[in-house]
Amino acid sequence: MEDFELLRNVTIGQYIPTGSIIHRLDPRAKILAATFLILAISFTPSILANFLMMAVILGIAWLARIEFRYLLRGFLLGLPILIFIFVTQFLFMGRVEPAGHVFFQLGWFRITQRSLYIIILSGLRLISFVFLTSLITMTATTTELTHGVEHLLRPFRRLGVPSHELALILMVALRFVPTLAEEMEDIMKAQASRGADIGGRRMWRPDRAAKAYLPLIVPLFLNAFRRAEELVYAMEARGYVGGGGRTHFIQLKSRGLDYAVILAAFVVMLLMLLIPWPSIFGIFF
Amino acid sequence: MVQALKGVDLTVEPGEYVVILGHNGSGKSTLAKHLNALLVPTEGDVWVNGWNTRDRDHLQDIRSTVGMVFQSPDNQIVATVVEEDVAFGPENMGLPHEEIVQRVNWALDVVEMSEFRYRPPHRLSGGQKQRVAIAGMLAMRPQVLVLDESTAMLDPIGRQEVLELAHRLNREEGVTIVAITHFMEEAVEADRIVIMADGRIQLEGIPREIFTQTEALQALHMEPPLVTRLALAMRQTNPQFPGDLLTLDELITALKAHWRVPAPVLPDARKADSSPQEAIIRYEDVGRYYMRGTPLQVKAIEHVNMHVTRGEILGVIGHTGSGKSTIIQHANALIRPHEGRVLVFGEDTRDEKTNARALRRRVGLVFQQPERQLFERFVGDDVAFGPRNLGLSREEVRERVRRAMAVVGLGFDEFKDRMTFSLSGGEMRRVALAGILSLEPEVLVLDEPTAGLDPEGRAQLLERLLSWREQGETLVMVSHNMDNLAELADRLYVIARGTVLAEGTPEEIFAQVERLQEEGLNAPVVTQVMQSLANEGLLPPEATHIHRFDEAVHLLRGMI
Repeated sequence: MEDFELLRNVTIGQYIPTGSIIHRLDPRAKILAATFLILAISFTPSILANFLMMAVILGIAWLARIEFRYLLRGFLLGLPILIFIFVTQFLFMGRVEPAGHVFFQLGWFRITQRSLYIIILSGLRLISFVFLTSLITMTATTTELTHGVEHLLRPFRRLGVPSHELALILMVALRFVPTLAEEMEDIMKAQASRGADIGGRRMWRPDRAAKAYLPLIVPLFLNAFRRAEELVYAMEARGYVGGGGRTHFIQLKSRGLDYAVILAAFVVMLLMLLIPWPSIFGIFF
Repeated sequence: MVQALKGVDLTVEPGEYVVILGHNGSGKSTLAKHLNALLVPTEGDVWVNGWNTRDRDHLQDIRSTVGMVFQSPDNQIVATVVEEDVAFGPENMGLPHEEIVQRVNWALDVVEMSEFRYRPPHRLSGGQKQRVAIAGMLAMRPQVLVLDESTAMLDPIGRQEVLELAHRLNREEGVTIVAITHFMEEAVEADRIVIMADGRIQLEGIPREIFTQTEALQALHMEPPLVTRLALAMRQTNPQFPGDLLTLDELITALKAHWRVPAPVLPDARKADSSPQEAIIRYEDVGRYYMRGTPLQVKAIEHVNMHVTRGEILGVIGHTGSGKSTIIQHANALIRPHEGRVLVFGEDTRDEKTNARALRRRVGLVFQQPERQLFERFVGDDVAFGPRNLGLSREEVRERVRRAMAVVGLGFDEFKDRMTFSLSGGEMRRVALAGILSLEPEVLVLDEPTAGLDPEGRAQLLERLLSWREQGETLVMVSHNMDNLAELADRLYVIARGTVLAEGTPEEIFAQVERLQEEGLNAPVVTQVMQSLANEGLLPPEATHIHRFDEAVHLLRGMI
């Protein structure tokens, strides 16, 4: 662990102002386009198509002038989850039928054509998701995003969708990401100063890890609750009573390019979902 | 059930500046929350502009009449950008877009934060955040602004910013101010002071009358501002001397009028006799970046050369953002230098072979607001967390907890089974301190140990630290409170812009009043008095070496 500097690794939620063409898009266009891309990634069963989507995402990163290593840093943070998913799939997916060709078998455990396919496909999907979400937060400020979400959901208000409340929740959550990361950093340092073995050798044992995290989690939650309570007072003091009757300081305006981007993402989605992509290496769908 | 307020009668007139003083638990914050219907009284009534706060129909009217700014700069900003946060109130009022824009511009202008309008709040200083919070209130055009301990968590610069703004709003915009605080110094320029204790109003009047009621204040465990205390000390030996002095200028004028002996000869400044050779902690040209390897990389500290010798009380002065916290976190290998090196008991913290956990046991580091890191249900368990991590026996852990709690003045038998989170702020701070002392470190490093405590809590904590140091231990104290360091420190470092600006005895450092002021640091009040008297020619220039209250009283009593 490099010196407890948490904020350095939190790339989700960190805006990188390069002023690129991607940065200047209307947040609504960005959110809609990203939604189409995510749908494409989620529903195409083809590994080849997923590789192509990865290329599209890296192309967007290039257009946004975001260096690859920043994308990678957010990915590293999610690595433990990825490894966990990989290991569980590796262990259990061998039983899924139809299994196709069986490459290896040891008692109950097997590696099959099907299990390799699932592992590679879900790995690609997860990496794409992480890259895409990081890209959004790197190219749009959190306020742009929240306003984008609120505007997009506004038509659904009549159907009972609390668009304003959802946007506010998002805004407050994003607002406190750096604050809580700093707080966590302080707590980690403080407990390490009291001799706690944080990130030490025996952390792989779940019982010990849980015990070691308690001194971090308890204060973090207590402080977060206290912050929440104070925030409620502060919001009430400023006359907040919910979404009804509120007006807006920020007003979004979209240009031709924004519509073009949305259309392009929609076309990409259709291509991914409708073209019968050939299988690669012979063993995959 | 506890009755927090008992029969409080209070009227605030339009345009007034009222300060409500009281310790933690005196009921002053509860009182404040009644002013804009955040709380509604269980007995009696609160009227705002003729509206009863019980009347839910006028809730919006009441909240836009009485604005309120809270204590924590971090927890009252809603939006992720300054200007949008200021717009939050007007948006809630349902004002048209153009009107909101106009009010936001005006409010940011009044609090002088226009140039920061696109900043995210976490990249503002504490004082700036509070100014944003005030702007957020002003944008609702309130007639009254309640500042609920809004200065408690700020450094002296931030506090100055907020106080000046409050007075300016009161004078120029005609905003009525109700300021709640535990610091008498902040009440000097008020129109009226209200002192609360036990949920009741104990004293009420103009500052000059209140501050001179020494006995009544003492009974409430309160101390007048330092200037008034100096004047009262003069009056004890010279009944002709006026006691009701509030400002430095008044004190100097009075001293001049009563001066009767020529300037005495005073000794030279004490020189620091600490050499880096015998240091137990040594910084050699240390530099470190923040967010290294990201686009936001900045240099946090550079070319830091410092040392700590055994048995001294070392003061480290600097305001928030000067890099002082980063510097001291190198002392127990929590962070390691990117440039230069740090030697702790002769071991290089960057060396792979150095056992960081062993160093942390020898150098105890107490963070800012350490009570925020408590986590056990019972006091005894929390204090025992450190010793248990060392793998000591049950008896040894128990013995260490007992000793540590004794040092901070919490009886082992009385407190060990108390619920941690039911304690007062000052008690929790002392539990946290005991949690480090139970490691029995050779050096104790404290980051702003008194920040956020009320004066009584402060005094108790400092007294405890002094008694600990009597045992010959080494103490490093990081603070922006000059008056505390003036009383305690043997040697000082001044930190500014990420590096060491000056080093020396308090006599040497505080004598450079102007240089400190350039860095936004004030010399201790005692030194400022001495400097003024030296400027008047009443005392020789060496007088600025006097920075302790008792020494100053002793000298001045001989002069008048």
